[in-house]
Amino acid sequence: MSAANQSRPPHVEKLLNRRDFLVRGGAGFGALALTYLMESERLLAAPLSPSAARPMHFPAKAKSVIFLFMEGGPSQLDTFDPKPKLREMAGQRLPESFGKGLITAMGEVDSPLLADRREWKQHGKSGIWVSDWLPHIAGCADDLAVIRSCWGDGLNHANGVGQMNTGSTLGGRPSMGSWVSYGLGTENQNLPAFTVLCDNNGSVVGGPRNWGAGFMPAAFQGVRLGAATEPFPNLNPPRGIGEEQQRGKLDFLLQLNREHAQERSAYSELDARIRSYELAFRMQAEAPEAVDLSKESEATKHLYGMDQKETSIFGQNCLLARRMVERGVRFVQLYSGTGSKWDAHAKIEQNHTELCYATDKPIAGLLKDLKSRGLLDSTLVIWGGEFGRTPMSEKGDGRDHNPTGFTMWMAGGGVKGGQVIGETDELGLHAVKDRLHVHDLHATILHLMGLDHTKLIYRHQGRPERLTLNEGEPYTKIAG
Amino acid sequence: MEGLELFEKKVQPILVESCYKCHSHDADKIKGGLLLDSHEAALKGGDTGPALVPGKPEDSLLIRAIRYTDPDLQMPPKGKKLSDEQISVLTEWVKLGAPRPAPASTDRLNRRRSTAEDKDWWAFQPLSHPSIPEVKHPRWSANPVDRFVFSRLQAEGLKPSPEADRRVLIRRAYFDLIGLPPSVEDVDRFVSDSSPDAYEKVIDGLLRSEHYGEKWARHWLDLVRYAESDGFKLDEYRPAAWRYRDYVIRSFNEDKPYNRFLMEQIAADELWPENPDALVGTSYLRQTIYEYNQRNVPGQWAGILNDITDVTGDAFLGLGMQCARCHDHKFDPISQKDYFRLRAFFTPLSPREDVPLATSHEIAEYRRQMALWEEKTTEIRARIASLEEPVRERTTRDVVEKFPKEIQALLGKPASERTPYEHQISNLAYRQVTYEFERLDGKFKGAEKEKLDALKAELAAFSEFKPKPLPTMPLVTDLGPVAPLNSIPKRGNEDVLPGFLSLLGMAPVEIAPVAGSLNTTGRRAALAKWLAQPDNRFTTRVMVNRIWQHHFGQGIVATPSDFGHLGEKPSHPELLDWLANYFVQNNWSVKAVHRLIMTSAAYRQSALAPSSELAREKDPENRLLWRMNVHRLEAEQIRDAMLLASGELDPTVGGPSVDPSKPRRTVYTKWLRNSRDSLLEVFDPPDAYTSTAGRNVTTTPSQALMLINGHYALQRAQAVAERIIRTQPTNESEAVEAAYRFVQGRAPSASERSAAARFVNEQAARIAASGLGNVAASTEPMLRRSGSTAALFKPEGTQTRLVVPDNHLMPTYDFTVEAFVVLHSVDDGTAVRTIASRWDGRRDQPGWSFGVTGLKSAHKPQSLVLQLIGDPAEDGTGGYDVVASGLRLDFGTPYFAAVSVRIGDTSETGITFYLKELTAGADLQTVRVKHSVTANHQSNLPLIIGAREPEKRVVWDGLVDDLRLSNVALKANQLLVNREGSVDGTVGYWRFEEPNFFGDSSPNGHNIRSDIAPANGADAKMAGLVDFCHLLFNANEFLYVD
Repeated sequence: MSAANQSRPPHVEKLLNRRDFLVRGGAGFGALALTYLMESERLLAAPLSPSAARPMHFPAKAKSVIFLFMEGGPSQLDTFDPKPKLREMAGQRLPESFGKGLITAMGEVDSPLLADRREWKQHGKSGIWVSDWLPHIAGCADDLAVIRSCWGDGLNHANGVGQMNTGSTLGGRPSMGSWVSYGLGTENQNLPAFTVLCDNNGSVVGGPRNWGAGFMPAAFQGVRLGAATEPFPNLNPPRGIGEEQQRGKLDFLLQLNREHAQERSAYSELDARIRSYELAFRMQAEAPEAVDLSKESEATKHLYGMDQKETSIFGQNCLLARRMVERGVRFVQLYSGTGSKWDAHAKIEQNHTELCYATDKPIAGLLKDLKSRGLLDSTLVIWGGEFGRTPMSEKGDGRDHNPTGFTMWMAGGGVKGGQVIGETDELGLHAVKDRLHVHDLHATILHLMGLDHTKLIYRHQGRPERLTLNEGEPYTKIAG
Repeated sequence: MEGLELFEKKVQPILVESCYKCHSHDADKIKGGLLLDSHEAALKGGDTGPALVPGKPEDSLLIRAIRYTDPDLQMPPKGKKLSDEQISVLTEWVKLGAPRPAPASTDRLNRRRSTAEDKDWWAFQPLSHPSIPEVKHPRWSANPVDRFVFSRLQAEGLKPSPEADRRVLIRRAYFDLIGLPPSVEDVDRFVSDSSPDAYEKVIDGLLRSEHYGEKWARHWLDLVRYAESDGFKLDEYRPAAWRYRDYVIRSFNEDKPYNRFLMEQIAADELWPENPDALVGTSYLRQTIYEYNQRNVPGQWAGILNDITDVTGDAFLGLGMQCARCHDHKFDPISQKDYFRLRAFFTPLSPREDVPLATSHEIAEYRRQMALWEEKTTEIRARIASLEEPVRERTTRDVVEKFPKEIQALLGKPASERTPYEHQISNLAYRQVTYEFERLDGKFKGAEKEKLDALKAELAAFSEFKPKPLPTMPLVTDLGPVAPLNSIPKRGNEDVLPGFLSLLGMAPVEIAPVAGSLNTTGRRAALAKWLAQPDNRFTTRVMVNRIWQHHFGQGIVATPSDFGHLGEKPSHPELLDWLANYFVQNNWSVKAVHRLIMTSAAYRQSALAPSSELAREKDPENRLLWRMNVHRLEAEQIRDAMLLASGELDPTVGGPSVDPSKPRRTVYTKWLRNSRDSLLEVFDPPDAYTSTAGRNVTTTPSQALMLINGHYALQRAQAVAERIIRTQPTNESEAVEAAYRFVQGRAPSASERSAAARFVNEQAARIAASGLGNVAASTEPMLRRSGSTAALFKPEGTQTRLVVPDNHLMPTYDFTVEAFVVLHSVDDGTAVRTIASRWDGRRDQPGWSFGVTGLKSAHKPQSLVLQLIGDPAEDGTGGYDVVASGLRLDFGTPYFAAVSVRIGDTSETGITFYLKELTAGADLQTVRVKHSVTANHQSNLPLIIGAREPEKRVVWDGLVDDLRLSNVALKANQLLVNREGSVDGTVGYWRFEEPNFFGDSSPNGHNIRSDIAPANGADAKMAGLVDFCHLLFNANEFLYVD
């Protein structure tokens, strides 16, 4: 058993009694999960055996996830899935046999095929193909498991982003980060178990529900990190309120609440709330340290491309992700192109050139940095968008949405690097071999975290709910 | 993969899919006497002998059959041969010994199907008529509810708690019935009322209050996943949705019989088509999410029908029907076919937006006037139509082309040839065309646009003859008298007809078209009538249980929307049935049930009584009600109670929804699926995607941070302090006494008062020593923006002015002003609400001011405008130039607004206005305007954000966030809305984020100086009082009810 496994909180054993957890509930972000578990047991129907209600744990390497979400849908045909046939057939129509029953978002089934304009090379010992748009990531080829056979049900951005995050194209369900923090909690009570960073101030399609907790308690939702000076909403006291003043308020509040609690000692929820204020005060001092990059060396910043205008924003977010993971945050999600910026319906050359450039060096930097710090083994890094793009052109020089066959890759966290999983057809339209649906990808990710997707259950309105909507199967071969 | 895992994951699905139809206990007809659904049965085999020999696939008939090697033994039959992979899975399984989990060890959640015994479950039994237990106890024998509760406690040897103190009781009753706390006067009146029915009078008064409906409607709205937006990417606002919210509030206030209430929601269009009020109820069937550009139309339609079926199962029947959507329910005797029987009631639905909510008289009058207007405008409208025609055609073509071929074909098919289902699909698809038609004006350019505008102006001249449009909202009817096919996916084309749960063994439903209504099937009317039957075991129990739940914190059945096997058994089954009967006997009056429950001794118990050893041991969760439960307020109640305490609450009942910044009750604030108010968000609101029967109750640090550091609570605290000052307290002691009365609804004890007064003084000393003033927190988060704060401006009251005193680098020639804004009002007269300015308002002094025009403006009111004062153009015009954009801003809506000025270019390319609503999919509107001022328009005055020297009327009303000033004319692709940060030419970039709220994010150091006097003695005292009020809002006494 690796050190990583030993440090995993023995989640099930921790459930001692209800009182214990209600008291701990005030202690931080992570213990809240347990508070609620106990609370929901009480409210729920037929009591479940512990093994049914909570995840089975089996040994697994990944403790944390960093999900690099290329929002808008990056083209697999121009990055990781070369298709010589597409060049041959450029300008022609999609052969009848490919497009049967196909629906695309903008109705481009009959538009001429668009050749890629990349230079392709095989990289590393494994010889994985990566295009010239991603030279730095190509340098990490032997760490990657490139999955060329992903598919999903989301035709549009809201469906696709919704399904990739929550399993459902309709939205409103708990997101993957919520499921993971529900299953495993956090190892740092002073930080949220699930954090989200965006590369601009815009809005991810579908909004915050992409990291929402759905029908689960709000404690499991992701927290979008804001400015470095106030990483979490309302962390700082309002303008003009000094530390002495704030402490004075909290002290007197504590006094009032203690008096109130005297007659109500049976209600530990009141106790939990008292403690949540103490924590708030402590976090205010400690959380900014987590996002303070001033102590990072110039070499590190350079590795992430922070010293260059085009790569500085995503580089900074990647570095923040590493700091989060180091501090025990369970699930970190980084959006590139927040607000569907990868959505190259037209001018894909310009669009992807810029976005690939902005993310390539930072991502490679993250992989290298994690590796050199010994964190890559315990950190699962995922790259991908909500879907890929069509071999058919749109507006002459763009590509439409393609959820029927696209590429994602995973690295670290127990994944065997240097492998290519699955295939698309000759034109890169449909996944044809070792197809992995989004549900399968989710099951695989949970599996790598030591969670069985059929046993990670949350009961809602009596129904046993799962991230994978009772479908999907983990692709266990990804671990080698 | 081990044997059992192989069975669970690979073998079982093959058996279920390909074998069990003929070879399982549940098969309609078991073929060949063979059963394969248990190990024993498979060993025993059928007519031809054992089906399998564990460990020996070659000797197993099963394997031989699936391999198709023997022409006489081929299974599954008729060429449905399994795939090679499936065959090898089964072979491997038999080789491993054909293992299966032992039935006893099978986890409940992995059970495959329900059994006959499952039909004996309590919830499937008819309503019983239990007799009321005999109870001798004087306090516990008057109310039937108590006799059930007490006899149960007695049986367990438990003792109930004494009655709660009157002060506690009245606060509990107020929050329970109207969602607001009582005032001190209400409390005092009740405490000093010595009449025997003092308590009953309070309850009756609350039941008569029109705030009652505001509280109880919210529980219903949670159940039907009410929201005012579409969901998905666009999350488009549904401007008429509030009519349904008001309908629900009205229904509760009028104590509309519950069976009538539910019938209206399911089928008012069939049952009461002439009654506009009842018709609003059918908006229940329009609460689904909707994606405006989904090209998979059949998929979207199926999703809508499934969603309606699911919610109906949850909300009305209290059964988890949706488990049976894809397979027979594994625990309850509900088959997949039952699911589709319920769905069949809704399959003829046809969404409509054109049903007028008016009486037939009003409609006739409207049509008469309309005909008049149409007559007068025939010619103009024809000209507009012919101008629009080619654009409409082009638009239609563009939209239709994006659909897959089958849908395109369907849209091209003559209506008379379409099947009912095809009608539904083509109608749903055509909505995407209509959506574009509603935006037709934007598709005109240049001369064509001018022509259109001129014609529309001509048409507008007749608007006095045009009748006011009749109110309407998204509703439903049936498509017609013939229902479309309702088949189970992947199960052939059998049309599943409407029916009730098969376990009830009822005769098939008789569907009769409703008299007088030619265009419906009558299906929903039949469902409504069944649900409304007095002996409906589901509808009745489920509703009384919900009422109970919201009084005691949990229902008699603790899973209020699942009475099946996955739910919990009732704690008091007889009481539940007795209440259900009582409910029906009292004409389904919800208020009658409230009154009965609330006057019981059980409800009036103290929550503070110490628990006995026995109680802790036997019933630690208090299911048997040996005391009341302390519980946290819900999100709405927290906000509403703060507004009530501060005296700001606007008690208006009903009407269109408002921005959360308005002091209306929370039920009237806009409720969007994808962006929610940050205060409510942390206190466990319903998700608005699925039916919510009971809210989560969590205790999180985010809540503490929101209340102690968030602006909303602090602003309310300030308002409380101001309210206290208006009572002219002479010292701190009086001030804190008032604070207790306003916030906690009671007077403080002597020791509380002195402790609080001491706190205020000490706090004032700390504030004075820190040199920081507790300045007006004039900030607020902006919807659809991720930052936590934006600058808030109000034209009235004392205003903090945000001034940038440093003129270094300020523009002298071209410039661009950009900001994210929310506007709450414009001036009644001609004054311009200012986003930013460098001008003192004198027309002979240079400067500029960027803002929004007033109502009486000579230009388009409520639209972006730039006032530019400088040297006139060569022809002498100008000097004072009002450059109007015509771009209008709606109130309460977040926008990006900008103006870019090339001062020397007096052509149309000189000044460009930009406006973009901050919703996904909104276009960046661009307007180019000529101007006449050519130079010397930059003053030496400081830049002022949200105001200009010196007038008050021109102060912005609303929010300004991320303002950027540049000394160049930016192009569209350089705008802040496209890329945040500084660009070449940025003078200052103010983001209004704590703690550097006043800081300039650009490298130029243009920090804001706020015009606030440093704290002096009096201010510090006031700040100390604000702090005290603020922490009362944070106190558990405020957040919990005993």
